[in-house]
Amino acid sequence: MAERTHPGFEGAGADGELTLIDADVHQRWADESEIVQYLPERYRDDGLVLPTLLYRNPGGYFKDDEFTDDGGTPGSDLEKIVDDHLDRYGIDYAMFTGNSWLNLGAVPNRDYAGAVAEAYNRWLIEECLSVDERFLGSIFVPVRDPDRAAELIGEYGEHPQVRQVMLPGGSEVPYGRPQYWPIYEAAQEQNLAVAVHPFSEGHGVSNPPTGAGHPNNYIEWHTLLGTIFMGQLASMITEGVFVEYPELRVAFIEGGYGWVPHFMWRMDKNWKGLRSQVPWLEKPPSEYIREQVWFASQPVEEPERPDHHSHLMEMMHAEETLIFASDYPHWDGDSPVWGLPPMDDGLERAVRYENAQRLWDLPADPGDLA
Amino acid sequence: MKTRFEVCPAADLGPGERTIADLDGLSVGVFNVDGDYYALKNDCPHQRAPLCEGSLTGLMTAEAPGEFEYGRDGEIVRCPWHGWEFDVTTGESVFNPHRVKAKTFETSVEDSDDPGTVETSEPASANAGRLDFSTGTTADDADTVDTPDNGAETEDGAATDAEATTEADRYGATLAGEEPPVDTYDVDVEEGVVVVYL
Repeated sequence: MAERTHPGFEGAGADGELTLIDADVHQRWADESEIVQYLPERYRDDGLVLPTLLYRNPGGYFKDDEFTDDGGTPGSDLEKIVDDHLDRYGIDYAMFTGNSWLNLGAVPNRDYAGAVAEAYNRWLIEECLSVDERFLGSIFVPVRDPDRAAELIGEYGEHPQVRQVMLPGGSEVPYGRPQYWPIYEAAQEQNLAVAVHPFSEGHGVSNPPTGAGHPNNYIEWHTLLGTIFMGQLASMITEGVFVEYPELRVAFIEGGYGWVPHFMWRMDKNWKGLRSQVPWLEKPPSEYIREQVWFASQPVEEPERPDHHSHLMEMMHAEETLIFASDYPHWDGDSPVWGLPPMDDGLERAVRYENAQRLWDLPADPGDLA
Repeated sequence: MKTRFEVCPAADLGPGERTIADLDGLSVGVFNVDGDYYALKNDCPHQRAPLCEGSLTGLMTAEAPGEFEYGRDGEIVRCPWHGWEFDVTTGESVFNPHRVKAKTFETSVEDSDDPGTVETSEPASANAGRLDFSTGTTADDADTVDTPDNGAETEDGAATDAEATTEADRYGATLAGEEPPVDTYDVDVEEGVVVVYL
């Protein structure tokens, strides 16, 4: 029996309505050779040489019940994702966000990063998206080589299930800088969203994962994921990315959302007095966020009192800005049924699928993807 | 029925200058922008800062991200506390002109009810308005108020000896003698006083 929604949520799945779009599902390869086979010959002997996360989680990084039948890493059996996640929860679309530890933003060599990104994209399209029409793809790019990134977006962005370009949270310089704009131009041209997801922070050649410096433990690192997103978002807004690309849609995935009201208030407040530094902004910064930026719910905020979450929904305009994400199959993932606190049906519909439908321009029926 | 207040002789408030006047207990900033006079309540709608004592600046706009165009120099006053910009000529804030405004008052230049007022428009007493202003601001603020046109070149003869010296120092001019060249001014006292109606 499918456990699709919590008791009391009416309307989901009825009359052609969607039930749930999941913004963050991590599929991965069972064996590295699946990717290496797509590398150009000059790198095939090297295999995957990528910076890895040095912060250790005492409980591991996965939901322990999602290891595959033969003991493989969770997320590496795509049929199991269908059975245990999509079918079980009535998920209409699941956005594949790939393996967190590719960390392409932290790879020093730009050509190699581009080669790995292309290998990933070929594997994604040929071996992942083909498994189920409900799977959506995020293509990877060598963010430190924006022209190459734009080429890859043009080359792989046309596949109907590819709806997003993935940028790692950690970067050398913030994402508003004009050097990255070829990526945004290509994404807007291809009608793809751009998502920022924690990868690369503090690894390899990326900056420390907090402005304060390198954390000591995973608990410190994981708690502050939202702060690096704040830096990226402030840069994108003030440098004028959303002015230059008014059709661009951007998602921040897995950095939480409790900080969003503070960020919008503070940026609007500062804009009133400091507007002349960024005269190209045509409206308060928060309005660009409400129109062009979305935040994924996981890891869901768990305030002291449930009604505080309701206040947060109102303060961040969640009916426009929040999208559901499970982060399947990671240890800090949220249940599609029990993760989000109670909210009224209109808001719940917006968070469960309406907002994500706008973000990725999705038809109600995956069969209509084109 | 509005109340009429005579603020200062028109000759004392040259283009680019402003004064803060206490009009029956209400603090009002009176600005001369290119020969036109504007009055704003000296009270920022944000946190009640003395708005009219902020720096005078222009309007920064942009055709595209990364580009800057500066114009309307001297027509924008920036609140001395949080930097909110207001259009001196309308009282409207730059960031939200329809909803955030400083209160404005009607101004005009008229004959004085007291003929003596205009006759006091000699260098010594012409300072009156500016002295009022300087008591509420720092020397740095005054720098932003003055423009190079306001010193020796002034046509209305309102510049004082002290100002002429200051301007001369500031712009590198050298005085011919030990005494400021007061006598060389073509003092042409403008008729009328600046009037604000509350």
